[in-house]
Amino acid sequence: MSGSLPMEDPLVRMYRELKRALAKDQSQVKWAMVIDQAKCIGCHACAVACASENRLGPGVVYRPVMEEETGTYPNVGRRFLPRPCMQCENPPCVSVCPVTATWKNAQGVTVIDYTRCIGCRYCLAACPYGARCSDFGGFYTSRTPQEPGLIQGRYAARAYEQQNAPEYAKSWGQRGKGSPVGNARKCHFCLHRLEVGQLPSCVTSCVGRATYFGDRTDPGSLVSELMGSPRAHTLKAELGTRPNVHYLA
Amino acid sequence: MDRRDFLKSSALLGCALAAGEGLAQAAAPGDAPQSPYQGYKPEGMIFSACQQCNTQCGIKVKIENGNVVKIDGNPLSPWTLTPQIPYKTSMAEAALMDAPLCPKGYAGIQTLYDPYRIVKVLKRAGKRGENKWKAIPFEQAVAEVVEGGDLFGEGKVDGLKDILTCRDPKISDALKKDATEVANKKMTLADFKAKHAENLKYLIDPDHPDFGVKNNQFCLNWGRLKGGRSEFVRRFTEFSGGSYNYHGHTTVCQGSLYFSCKAMSDQFEEGKFTGGSKFYWQADTGNAEFIFFVGANPFEANYGPPLRASKISQLTADGVKIAVADPRCSKTAARAWKWLPVRPEGIGALSQAMIRWIIENKRFDARYLANANQAAAKADKEPTWTQACWLVKLSPEGKPTVFLRGSDLGMEAQKRTTKDGKSEWSFDPFIAISDKGEPVLFDPNDDKAVVEGQVLYSGDLGGIPVKTALQVYADEANSKSFDEWCKLAGVDSADVAEIAREFTSHGKRAVCDLHRGVSQHTSGFQNVVSWMLVNVLIGNHDYMGGLSKATTFTHDGSREGQPFNLTKHPAKMPGWGISIIRHGTSYGKSSLFTGYPAKRVWYPFASDVYQEVIPSAGDMYPYQLKCLLLYMGTPVYSLPAGHALAAILADPKKIPLFITSDITVGETSIYADYVFPDLTYLERWEFVGSHPSMAPKVGAFRQPAAKPMTETCTVYGQQMPINFEALLLGLAEKLKLSGFGDDAFGKGLHLKHQDDMYIRMVANLAFGDKADGTEKLPPASKEDMEVFLKARAHLPPTVFDAKRWEALVGPELWPSVVTILNKGGRFQEYAQAYKDGQLANKYGKMVGIYFDNLFKAKDSITGKPYLPFAGFVPGPLDVAGKPLPDAKDGYDLTLITYKAITQTKSRTAGNYWLQAPYPENFVEVSAADAARMGLKDGDPVRVLSASNPEGVWDLGPLGKKPVVGKVKVLEGLRPGVVSFSLGHGHWAYGAGAWEIDGKKITPDARRGTGIHANAAMRLDPVLKNTGLVDKIGASAVFYQSPVKLVKA
Repeated sequence: MSGSLPMEDPLVRMYRELKRALAKDQSQVKWAMVIDQAKCIGCHACAVACASENRLGPGVVYRPVMEEETGTYPNVGRRFLPRPCMQCENPPCVSVCPVTATWKNAQGVTVIDYTRCIGCRYCLAACPYGARCSDFGGFYTSRTPQEPGLIQGRYAARAYEQQNAPEYAKSWGQRGKGSPVGNARKCHFCLHRLEVGQLPSCVTSCVGRATYFGDRTDPGSLVSELMGSPRAHTLKAELGTRPNVHYLA
Repeated sequence: MDRRDFLKSSALLGCALAAGEGLAQAAAPGDAPQSPYQGYKPEGMIFSACQQCNTQCGIKVKIENGNVVKIDGNPLSPWTLTPQIPYKTSMAEAALMDAPLCPKGYAGIQTLYDPYRIVKVLKRAGKRGENKWKAIPFEQAVAEVVEGGDLFGEGKVDGLKDILTCRDPKISDALKKDATEVANKKMTLADFKAKHAENLKYLIDPDHPDFGVKNNQFCLNWGRLKGGRSEFVRRFTEFSGGSYNYHGHTTVCQGSLYFSCKAMSDQFEEGKFTGGSKFYWQADTGNAEFIFFVGANPFEANYGPPLRASKISQLTADGVKIAVADPRCSKTAARAWKWLPVRPEGIGALSQAMIRWIIENKRFDARYLANANQAAAKADKEPTWTQACWLVKLSPEGKPTVFLRGSDLGMEAQKRTTKDGKSEWSFDPFIAISDKGEPVLFDPNDDKAVVEGQVLYSGDLGGIPVKTALQVYADEANSKSFDEWCKLAGVDSADVAEIAREFTSHGKRAVCDLHRGVSQHTSGFQNVVSWMLVNVLIGNHDYMGGLSKATTFTHDGSREGQPFNLTKHPAKMPGWGISIIRHGTSYGKSSLFTGYPAKRVWYPFASDVYQEVIPSAGDMYPYQLKCLLLYMGTPVYSLPAGHALAAILADPKKIPLFITSDITVGETSIYADYVFPDLTYLERWEFVGSHPSMAPKVGAFRQPAAKPMTETCTVYGQQMPINFEALLLGLAEKLKLSGFGDDAFGKGLHLKHQDDMYIRMVANLAFGDKADGTEKLPPASKEDMEVFLKARAHLPPTVFDAKRWEALVGPELWPSVVTILNKGGRFQEYAQAYKDGQLANKYGKMVGIYFDNLFKAKDSITGKPYLPFAGFVPGPLDVAGKPLPDAKDGYDLTLITYKAITQTKSRTAGNYWLQAPYPENFVEVSAADAARMGLKDGDPVRVLSASNPEGVWDLGPLGKKPVVGKVKVLEGLRPGVVSFSLGHGHWAYGAGAWEIDGKKITPDARRGTGIHANAAMRLDPVLKNTGLVDKIGASAVFYQSPVKLVKA
């Protein structure tokens, strides 16, 4: 009995494919995500990794994971649905923006310019997936005590949440002093990571290896392979938003 | 594509990463805009190990402007990727590739930057448990703990100097030797007293010399402790401090799993079954063709995520079946081919059903089981062998007793020389029955003369009724019908038959993987061994996709040829006596013996009996503890019925000096006299070991990655942050203990700073286990050296000083040490962990299934021999062996617990990110029970038990906290069972009012959401201050408390 061993972690393959995509003319790259619900273990690592990567304040969530119990005892199932921004081909959130602060970039990612956003929240209402949030500028450590010298206290503890993340590969400075606080915020496939050759944080944190990411114009990519699966579908397809996030049922 | 193509594996892996330009190069094209993003640069991260739970995953701690900004998984570590990327991968590529962690791993930043962390030593300023404190200087605290005196205005308290009185190993040794003689009745007490008249003052009680020296009245007890700190603890407490009371927390986790496997791994050595390891086996998860998870939930706990969860997810996607036995439809069960909603008490009946089906249908590996000794195993290329065909003698009533031996058939024992060559022992052979029906004598360790035997046999030899060990099991399994066992287990017999068929359809690549749901029962030992026997029936130990064990590189330098032997000590004291938890010794052999029952349970087959430390001290049995130092533990919160411990700790007369080392003031620390602040796992060292399911050999550690957040202190003239090591070093300095300070590890090898131990341990790992140095890691390149220094630029010299570190290991080893520090450990390549369908890192010994030792020992309460095999023992039982009468008093639900992925028991309530998905926990009730009781989602209910009919946490000075939570109605829960997840319902840990220097610290309601229902767990009716226990494997019982719910 010789047996066979796992050959390659899917993440390693996707890193290799990302390298291939970055070597291409970037206007020819279209990013897509595939989420295999049968492999999602409902661990919420993606939600927390994303909050950490993008320094999301309280109430701002780019990638929640919905949980649902199905069936009746003893025939019971549990369903987990990670729900990032669908990066629609026809994004309803874009057309409602009164200040053209949001648009689709060349690789199909719907982005927000925090310097133009006025925080009107029209886009929040327009998104059929509830994928956008308002950032009201709070801290997780708000209302915790500050007793310097006695305990660590709020200010020392705030080290990790004081600076905004370099979303869209830009410096945003301290939270509370300008963007993105006061704006709409959403998943952007971690463009700042992609640019340096890193997969989005929800992909690299996926314990169940349920989240796949890559260039859908690359026929050899894992996402292209999976998008052809008979299990593939998109959420609320009837709305004609044409998401670039696909699900495997 | 074919993910599992072995032939291509190593070649393609190499291609993926090594060929052509590296990922990092391609990643940052020249025309990329100037991004402020830094999270891919090796000079901005330190590779370390997580400790948000005990899985200890490899992490990379990303630093910006001196602060931790993100934690990701280390792709070089086999904890995170399967297979992990090659060890030789450049730092740039390893830095670029982030690997998965569980949500707690990412939230670790909030453990480091927890506003409620303490930074100074706190001394209580009120009564115990009032949670009022005074911040005092470290030096003052150390002096007070050592000197004692009227520390709290409540009268004199003995300091450590009054407790650790015997410092001469020669005196201690002499007392120990003769105390044993007295216990063995080879010396009279009067002779002992006369001979040791001068030294009786060192004994706790000269009338009971077997209690040991007064030093034993100091106890160091810990919660989560790993390598490095464990050597510090043992050196301080035992080798230098002379106390035998250093105890871990094993039994609150999965004690009976550890101690069952310890018994199963005992070998026959010089006439005795001995030498077993405290360890256990788990599935080689990624390579099984079928896994039955029994009382295990690896998607949320059990060293599952990410280590095993990712493998299971991939397996099931590839069509591999898994089954889960659990009263709850856990997240793992939700992905299973079959979920068996077993009765909590029925887990042992389910194994009997499996055993019966497999034997009856002849689906066991007869070839493997027929091997009686090592030679037979070798001939079959089997790495292990069992006792299946060994003959066991029966009592006149037909009960199995001990193994049949040559002497029973009138043969003379053979004289053999002991291994050390100093004495002789008598070899009395074991006996099997050959194919021809003839008795054959054998030595289990004989590697030349092949002996096989019939595995199922009953008969009579020379007038002695006998059975094979496997026949003992077969007869037990046949004592009820298959359907009766399934009914007892509360599951459908067709499902069990299908699972048993599937389990026996994959050769040795199928496995039953067990965890707490099997072990934390009053019959935990029998449960575990019976489930392990199911594995033994297909002989899957050491096989790919079968049972595996942990294998690690040696960090303490005890291997021949390693550079620094850190076990050396100039005047090592032997810890001896009867421990406060009475482990590893028998009541019947002690000077306390006055007939049965003993006052409390004795544990000859277990150690680290967490639930015994404080209650035994409360009962002062066998003696009083004068000082308890608790490290990173919170028994009040973690143990079943922890409120009983709170009552003991609140009374300073029971344990006069109680010190904790903690990062904040938790539910147990509120009763402390002093709380010493510790560093979190992101600021400090530890050598993390491995896990049973980890096939590759590993040597991983955590190292200072974040700036230390506690105040600085000075010990032995060295500056260091206040932490656990500083506390022990400070006490050692003040007490002038040998084995610390100058020449602690030998001439010129001092121990004055944590680095003195840990950097040398890292050097041992870098050197490897081979005496000839062939395992020494390659030296760091110039670039690697730069990365190493830049990544640590934010660390103060109290924890990092490259010159100091290099001087400790010497210039020759230093570049290899930098290599391992850069990579966060060393990891065997995945493909090298397997060979010819077997594991490369083998257990490779006899797997015991029948236990002479149990039959020969006596239960300290009943005075009867223990059951020597894994028969079915119904439960729950009290320690006297009586079933609990609670059901007839209306306590007709069974309370169980589980771990949600978002919490690690007591210590993650301050991680605010984890509360987004799961802000509170619930009292989970099955839909059928909810309908019966008229309960709906959100209804507040109180949880009551016969031992807590009021349903409260009685917190002494803090008043009574009701055990109340909100109902959640679930279809995925067996009717009759009530469940809650651990980790919520705090009242300390920043969730409740506290005060330092007269200032009120505002509590945070987010930390106290939900319910902690441990107080509703059943106290043992005989012991009264301790929860239910397994008297063999010592597990604290979590799954058998009868409760009722009332609307609150």
